[in-house]
Amino acid sequence: MSLDTMLKKLSVSSPWLFRINAGSCNGCDVELATTACIPRYDVERFGCKYCGSPRHADIVLITGPLTARMRDRVLRVWHDIPEPKVTVAVGVCPISGGVFREGYSIRGPIDRYIPVDVNVPGCPPRPQAILESVVLARSIWLKKLGLEK
Amino acid sequence: MAGFLKVLFRNLLEGPCTDPYPFGKTFSPPSIRGKVLINPELCMGCGMCVYSCTAKAINITPLSDASGYTITVWRNTCCLCASCKHYCPMGAMSISDDWHLAHAADEKYALVERHTIKFTPCSNCGAMIRPLPLPMLKRLYAASDVDPEKIRSLCPKCRQIEAASQIVQNSGADAAKAENS
Repeated sequence: MSLDTMLKKLSVSSPWLFRINAGSCNGCDVELATTACIPRYDVERFGCKYCGSPRHADIVLITGPLTARMRDRVLRVWHDIPEPKVTVAVGVCPISGGVFREGYSIRGPIDRYIPVDVNVPGCPPRPQAILESVVLARSIWLKKLGLEK
Repeated sequence: MAGFLKVLFRNLLEGPCTDPYPFGKTFSPPSIRGKVLINPELCMGCGMCVYSCTAKAINITPLSDASGYTITVWRNTCCLCASCKHYCPMGAMSISDDWHLAHAADEKYALVERHTIKFTPCSNCGAMIRPLPLPMLKRLYAASDVDPEKIRSLCPKCRQIEAASQIVQNSGADAAKAENS
C-alpha cells in the first residue's frame, strides 16, 4: 500500500466541514451551528468538524443566494479548497434563489458558477435534514477519493 | 461539584441525549412544515396559490388543447411558508411533516409535485368546466334547498338556471302546501 492510499484511508473518517455564507439571511447558518453545537444533533459523530481555513476543508456547505457583492469572494474561497471537495447547497437560496430569485442583486443560483453535489432544500432545513445531506456528501466524497464504490 | 455529579448520574441512567438519526429513529414536532402536497380532487385551478406563493414555486399552465391544466410545485424553491395552504379557498394544499428533502444535485429538477387536471363537459350544454367539489357546493347552497348533487356537473351558466328553477319549484310546492293546509 502506498503512503498516499494509507493517508487517505486514515483520514476517511473525518471529512472536515467549511461554511461559506454567500449572502444568507443567517437562518441556515444558525441551523448549521445547531447541527454541530447541540448534543441532540451532533454532526461530530461522523468525524466532521467545522474548520476555520478553507485549505483544511473536505465538504463545503454554502448558504445564501450568492449576492453580487459576495460572488467573487465566494468563488475565491471555494477555489482555495483543495480537491476532492464536495459542495453542499444548504437551503433553497443557493439551489434556486428561493424568495430572492431574480432579484436585482442576486447572481445565483450557485450552480451557475460552482458544481454542486448535494442539495438540501428548506427555509431553513432541519438539523436532521442537514445531517442527512452531510452523510450523503460523505459518501460522494469517499467515491471521489476512490475508497468506496 | 454536586451539580456535576447530578448530571453524571442522569447520563448514566438515561443515556446520551443525542438523537440516533441517521442510524436510528428521529422525531418530527407536530407543527413542522415539510413537503407541500396538492389534492387534485379539490384543486380548481383558481391560481390563488400562484399569487400568494412567496417564492414563485407554484405554477399553473393550461394544456395546449385547453382540455385542462397542470399544477406544479417545485420543492427546491418552496420556502415552506404555507401561504398556499392558508389562502387556498378549496383547502387543496396541505403541508406534510415529511422533511426528508436532501438529494444529489442531479435530481434538482425532479423534486416536483405535478398534477394534470382535466376538464369535464357540462351535462347540459357541453362546455368544458372543472366541476366544483361537493363539500364546496354544499357550503355554497347551504341556505337554499337546492340539491348539490344535481347541479354538480353543470357549467356556471346552466347551474344558475337549474338552481333558480329548483328554488322556484320548491317555493311553488311550499305555496301549494300552504294553500291546501
